[in-house]
Amino acid sequence: MYLVQNLYDQYGKYLDLELIAGESGMHRSIKKPEVHRPGLSLAGYRKSLPTARILVFGKVEISYIRELDPTSRLDRLKTVLTSATPAVIIARYYRPPKELVMICQENGIPLFRASMSATTLLSKITFILLEEFSPSVTMHGTLVEVFGVGVLIQGESSVGKSEAALGLLERGHRLISDDVVKVKKREGSYLVGSGPELTRHLMEIRGIGIINVAHLYGAVCVRPDKGLDIVIKLEEWDDRHFYDRVGLEEKFCDILGISIPFHILPVKPGRDVVLLIETIALNHRLKDMGYHSAKEFNVKLLETIAKRQEKRVAAKR
Amino acid sequence: MKRPSEKEKSMRIIHTLKVKNDLGLHTRPATVIVRILQSFRSAVYFTYQRETVNARSIMSILMLAVGKNCSLTITVEGEDAESVLKELVSAFETKFGEKK
Repeated sequence: MYLVQNLYDQYGKYLDLELIAGESGMHRSIKKPEVHRPGLSLAGYRKSLPTARILVFGKVEISYIRELDPTSRLDRLKTVLTSATPAVIIARYYRPPKELVMICQENGIPLFRASMSATTLLSKITFILLEEFSPSVTMHGTLVEVFGVGVLIQGESSVGKSEAALGLLERGHRLISDDVVKVKKREGSYLVGSGPELTRHLMEIRGIGIINVAHLYGAVCVRPDKGLDIVIKLEEWDDRHFYDRVGLEEKFCDILGISIPFHILPVKPGRDVVLLIETIALNHRLKDMGYHSAKEFNVKLLETIAKRQEKRVAAKR
Repeated sequence: MKRPSEKEKSMRIIHTLKVKNDLGLHTRPATVIVRILQSFRSAVYFTYQRETVNARSIMSILMLAVGKNCSLTITVEGEDAESVLKELVSAFETKFGEKK
C-alpha cells in the first residue's frame, strides 16, 4: 500500500511540498495512480465524482472558491473532499481559503502547498504514481546491455553469470545490475530492469570478492536501468539434452505477463560464453530489423529444393 | 541427474528467523550463510519487507540490509530442506560467530 507519508518522504523535496494542515491523515493510502483537478465538481456538478484521487487546486479553482459566498464555499468543498480523498495540493503557493484548511484539519486530509503550476504538478505526480504503482518483481540474474540490447543472464549459482558479465564489460558493454535485478512493467507493455540502490554496480566474483565496476572500469561501463529485451539462461552442459541447433523455433518466457525471447545457453570448457552472448544479442537486433537468419535460410533452401525438383521432372520428360 | 521423487519435491519449509547480532546481516554473516548453503542442494529464499531473494547470492542478501531484531522469512525447498534449516537456525542463534 502506498501512503501519503511515502509520497511526502520520497518526493516531498522534489515536488517542493509544504504541509499546511491535516497532519493526522498522513497515513491515508493512495489507491489510484491518478491526480484530479476538481474544477467541474467545485462548480456543483456532482455526477461521477472521482473520489479516491489526489486533488490539485490551481489558479482557476482557488479564484472560483474566492468568488463564492461563505456558505456555498463550505458546501462545495465538502462535496469534493470525501473520506477517500488521499490529499490536497495547492499550486503556485496560493493561500488556501480558510474553509479548505478547516475541512482538511477536521477530517485529517493532508493539505499541501507547492511552488509549481497545477499542470506541472499534475504531470509530475502522475508520473511518480505510475512508477510506484507499476507491477514489479525481483529476479535472480545479471542484467547487461550488449550492443544496445538489454540481456538478463540467468542460471544456477556459480554457473558463471558474473564472470560472463565481467567479460562483456571488458569488451565495452555495460552492467546494470549483478545478481539482483528489479524488473518493472512500464505502461503495461514493456519491462525495465534496474539494480537495488545499495548494491548498485557492485559485483561479487568468486575468488576475488566484491568489486565496484563503476570505479574499476569507469562510468562508461555502467548504467542505472535498461529495458529488458532477452533472457539468456546459462546451464551446465548436459549431453542428454538436445540443444537448439538451427534456431527456427523461438522460445519465450513470461515475466510479469509479458513474453520475452528466451535462450538456453549450455556452458562447457572451450565455449566462449561472452562471444556467444554477444552473438545472441546481435542476432536479436537483426531479427528486430526484420531479418531472421534461420528462417531466411530455410526459405532459400526450400526454393532451391523446389527448383531442383522442377529440373529433375523436366529432364525426365 | 537423478529425478527427485514426489516426496522429495514436496519438501518445503517456511520459517521465520530473527537477526540477533548487533550489526545485522552485513557482509560477514552473508558469507557465513552462503558457505552453509554451498554444501546443500535445496533452493533457499529469504523474504524481507516484501522482497524475496535467492539466499545463495551474497549480493542479494546484502541488498536486503536486514538490521538487528528484524524478522526474516526463510523458504527452503528440496530434499535436504530440514538439515538446511537446522544449520541456518544455529547460525542465526550463534550470531554468525560474532561476539555482539
